[in-house]
Amino acid sequence: MEHETFFTLMMDALDGELAEDGRAELESHLRACPRCLREWQALSTIDALFRQTPALRPATDFVQRTIALLPDRRLRLWTMGVMYLFLLLSGIIPLLIGAIVYTLLRPAFSQPTVWESLLQSVEKIFQVMGTVLNALFISAGEFIGQNPAALGWLLVMIGIVSLWGGVFRQAVIQPGQISS
Amino acid sequence: MNEESIWLEQARQGDKVAFGKLIEAYQGPVYNLAYRMMSNSGEAEEAAQEAFIRAFTRLDSYNPAHKFSTWLLSITSNYCIDQLRKRRAILLSIDEPLPPHPALSADQEKRPESQLIMNEQQAMVQSLLEELAPDYRQAVVLRYWHELSYEEIAEMMDTTVSAIKSRLFRARKQLAEIALETGLNPMEQVMEMAA
Repeated sequence: MEHETFFTLMMDALDGELAEDGRAELESHLRACPRCLREWQALSTIDALFRQTPALRPATDFVQRTIALLPDRRLRLWTMGVMYLFLLLSGIIPLLIGAIVYTLLRPAFSQPTVWESLLQSVEKIFQVMGTVLNALFISAGEFIGQNPAALGWLLVMIGIVSLWGGVFRQAVIQPGQISS
Repeated sequence: MNEESIWLEQARQGDKVAFGKLIEAYQGPVYNLAYRMMSNSGEAEEAAQEAFIRAFTRLDSYNPAHKFSTWLLSITSNYCIDQLRKRRAILLSIDEPLPPHPALSADQEKRPESQLIMNEQQAMVQSLLEELAPDYRQAVVLRYWHELSYEEIAEMMDTTVSAIKSRLFRARKQLAEIALETGLNPMEQVMEMAA
């Protein structure tokens, strides 16, 4: 058997899980192998040291000081309850309003001309937005075409802002990682 | 329903006095685990307090099917390991050594001899534990001082029994090697001190 295998038997012996035949095998090997015998002596000494060393206890006023630090759980539960109620109402109230509006305006919505007018209005809104965005892009393109350096300056400014943002995060938000 | 279950139920309703009884019952195991991990009485006390505060805040997430002590020690050890990782990232001033446990303090001339021997023994144990990586140290402390089974330790550390056995195996091997390299024979030294 390899030494590692006998080391496994030593672990089982320390845990009180070694069967009789395993114990006999280990004892026989320890008599014949000085290296394993030294390891076993070191292991069992450390094992005994740890088992015989009592647990440490905190100061006598630890309990009182810890109770003083406990958060107000009742207030927290009450606050969370109010928040959940608010979220629930913020979902239910719009549904109720929508249902009331639909009930009141249902006769109007049953007219086909109303829907046609609504769709035409939405279409016109999108047309206007498209025209405005198109004009903005064309103007911007013409401006950059006439002043190409402006694009370069814009990219430089974006780079500087990103760099200083990273420095700010490192220096201010993570102070524990700065060495003296 | 046993006393602990009653205290837990009352603490869930926000009763700090009831939770105080739980702190009283478990202050020893929690503090011992924290000290064995942090090797510093100030940080150990802070870790122990933080563990109880977190337990109080998260009582709703505690599953009564598991032992409360196991859940509490899990919170403690996770916090300690996080603190040890942060500690590694911070450069410490060499002028500020970490303070030991009050029981191991320097004012030893006034203490009885048995206390001195115990202090030496505690210091020896702590110096051995400091040689281990945090997760190995955690497994050793839980096995020796809290007498948890492999299954309980695995559940606490959210891993398998074979992984825990492997950690303990390597930790013991490392400690044995240290003992052999340094010529340390703790029991002989402790017995010599007692003689």
